[in-house]
Amino acid sequence: MKMNFRSLLSEYGNVLVLLLICLGISLVTIEKQSAISSSAARELALEVSADNPPKSKVLVLVRTGEGAARFAESLEDSLSARGLHVVASIVGTPADARKALLSQKDELDAIVTGEHMAIFTSGQLPTLASENEALARTKTYRTETYLWPNFLKKDNLLNVLKQVSVVAIIAIGMTLVIITAGIDLSVGSLIAFSGVVGALAIQYLGGSDPTTVHLWLGSLAGILICALIGMGTGGLVTAFRIPAFIVTLGVMFIAKGFAFIFSKSEPIPVENEGFSWLGRGSDLFGLPNSVALMLALYGVAYVVMSRTSIGRYVYAVGGNPEAARLSGVPVNLVLVFVYTLCGLLAGLGGIMEASLHVTGDPKSGTLVELQVIAAVVVGGTSLAGGQGKIFGTLVGALIIGAIRNGMNLTGVEAHMQSVVYGVVILIAVMVDQLKGRFK
Amino acid sequence: MKYSNLLYIKNKLLGIFAGAVLFCLLGCGGDGGGSAAKGVIAYTPQTLSNPFFSVIAENIRAEAEKNGYDFLVVDPDMDVKKQSDQIDDFIAKNVVAIVLVPVDRMSIGPAVKEANAAGIPVFTVDAKCAAEGAKIEGHVGTDNFQGGELAGQAMIQALGEEGGKVLVLDLKKANSCVLRVDGFKKVINAYNEVRASGKIEIVAELDGNGDRTKGYESTSAALQAHEDLAAVFAINDPSALGAYTAVKEANRQDQIKIIGFDGMPDGKKAIKNGQIYADPIQHPDKMGIQIVELIVKYQAGESFPKETLLPATLYTKSDADQDPDLK
Repeated sequence: MKMNFRSLLSEYGNVLVLLLICLGISLVTIEKQSAISSSAARELALEVSADNPPKSKVLVLVRTGEGAARFAESLEDSLSARGLHVVASIVGTPADARKALLSQKDELDAIVTGEHMAIFTSGQLPTLASENEALARTKTYRTETYLWPNFLKKDNLLNVLKQVSVVAIIAIGMTLVIITAGIDLSVGSLIAFSGVVGALAIQYLGGSDPTTVHLWLGSLAGILICALIGMGTGGLVTAFRIPAFIVTLGVMFIAKGFAFIFSKSEPIPVENEGFSWLGRGSDLFGLPNSVALMLALYGVAYVVMSRTSIGRYVYAVGGNPEAARLSGVPVNLVLVFVYTLCGLLAGLGGIMEASLHVTGDPKSGTLVELQVIAAVVVGGTSLAGGQGKIFGTLVGALIIGAIRNGMNLTGVEAHMQSVVYGVVILIAVMVDQLKGRFK
Repeated sequence: MKYSNLLYIKNKLLGIFAGAVLFCLLGCGGDGGGSAAKGVIAYTPQTLSNPFFSVIAENIRAEAEKNGYDFLVVDPDMDVKKQSDQIDDFIAKNVVAIVLVPVDRMSIGPAVKEANAAGIPVFTVDAKCAAEGAKIEGHVGTDNFQGGELAGQAMIQALGEEGGKVLVLDLKKANSCVLRVDGFKKVINAYNEVRASGKIEIVAELDGNGDRTKGYESTSAALQAHEDLAAVFAINDPSALGAYTAVKEANRQDQIKIIGFDGMPDGKKAIKNGQIYADPIQHPDKMGIQIVELIVKYQAGESFPKETLLPATLYTKSDADQDPDLK
């Protein structure tokens, strides 16, 4: 058992790094949060009813937003249940709140607010009271606050996953390529290319009013073309024995160039908001679709790499191509396969990114190839080939995503962010090297 | 057995070390979680490498703190994906208001809509958001069209009776810069209409990307193509300075006049040294202050104008010679 724990640590040392990073970010992002649950609403109602006799006139003020309507509703219910008279329940902007308060004719006993409206009332109530006598003796109550890291809020964690999904999905293909001792520098450009081709195809098929079918067809066109480009890359690598670094460097420039040529350097809008379904929708138990897709693809990739002969072939080709060839592994076919897959996933990433902005943008994907490679390397895959773990790559992508998110939440300056990325990559690779040395 | 024990300890130490380093970096670089009473105003410009946006940032910070708000600034580095991720992060942080300079006026739309849905008001400075359905509470900017007209008048003055060929370095993805070029062209076209000779001819409109590198590249190309180029109008200072580098490299700084835009410290210095002829200047300090004034009014539920355009003013060598900041 002890041995198991130890081997787990050496295999997945980067999980520990990820957890430590999350802990660190959590500590620096602790901030006051205000409760908007229905139990918080009940407690608040209790507090109000303790101070005010039954039939007192109460106004509920909550700022528009996620869960605001529900919170206002449960406040209203709880207050009424305590015998208080809710004269109005406003879910809106400060301007709405001002209007509602100024229009009160009868004397108002209390205002019950959420976090943001509490700031509004504490600042504005004195001046409003001088304009409207009904507010002269109004007391204010606000929802309770508690300390919790912004980083660990559910919405934020989903943000992290959503933001890394494109990099993480492409990193699956990149992991396979790097396991075969290759590299693919073209994926960033393919993101732009696929997004532009997809958006143009949608425009071509559907004109100014594309239907869902057009969206699917256009997206498929973008993805498949990138898969074909990947196949071409694999073909050049195997047929002419050109190093993958050079081939994909060439493809990188070509794809980027064509992305700009096809789009005439302008972002191509997609005239159907439904296109944002993949990038921004959340259909599965509140899980964003892009995240669900990412997890599903990692599941499939894990099974393929650990349970099927394709997976074993990929490792064999990376470990020793000559030995692999002699033992009957179709080396060239395997290589073409991994580059095709990498191209396909980059195409998918491009469609996801286009979906995020409902636009095919030739500028998107810039330098993403380096983030993808960083995720793979941080995940413990060796650039020398033959070794690497799919879930390691996911952890690597999450490390990068968590750091980026943490730095945005705390306002770390951009150049410092770049320094931090560099340090993380170096540390992760150092851990990996030491692990190998002591094996 | 001993070896693996050693490995275990080593791994553990390394992990802790990694965490500690990161923690320090985050801690040192960050603004921390300090919470003023009124919450956070968050700002995402196009890039902080352009001092124009950092001057705005400094003024928002000062004005925000004066009014009891915290301030958070991040740098999307001209990448719309980064900017849209940053807006998502602002929403998770539940800031009280977002101040945005859209990297792309269309593509940022979906992120703005998410902020709308979360009830967080979005304000734009300098550049506008043109995406359909994205709600912007207020905008403070320069009257870019009027600034472009000033640039056109300065160009007429610079070229004099002879007129000549002009290169325009534009930035089509930023609406503000498109307006500058429109205003510039309006004045130049009106000038040409009433003249038989000595017209000012715009021979090329190239992408300057608003930065030195691209401004340099595009100008070099235009210098090859047009041996008798007489002037350059660049839509901001970095691309104007890039143009100057190219002109100087070709040793044609005496024949070619450059007009920039913005009036950032580097640009003003270049005007003083005669490298740039003149700049319509913007007033980023006022923009930062005004946008916070709008946010304060919004939070108080008071009404305010949806759009405030501050006029640009022309800044020439004689202004630069008297500028106390350049002494």
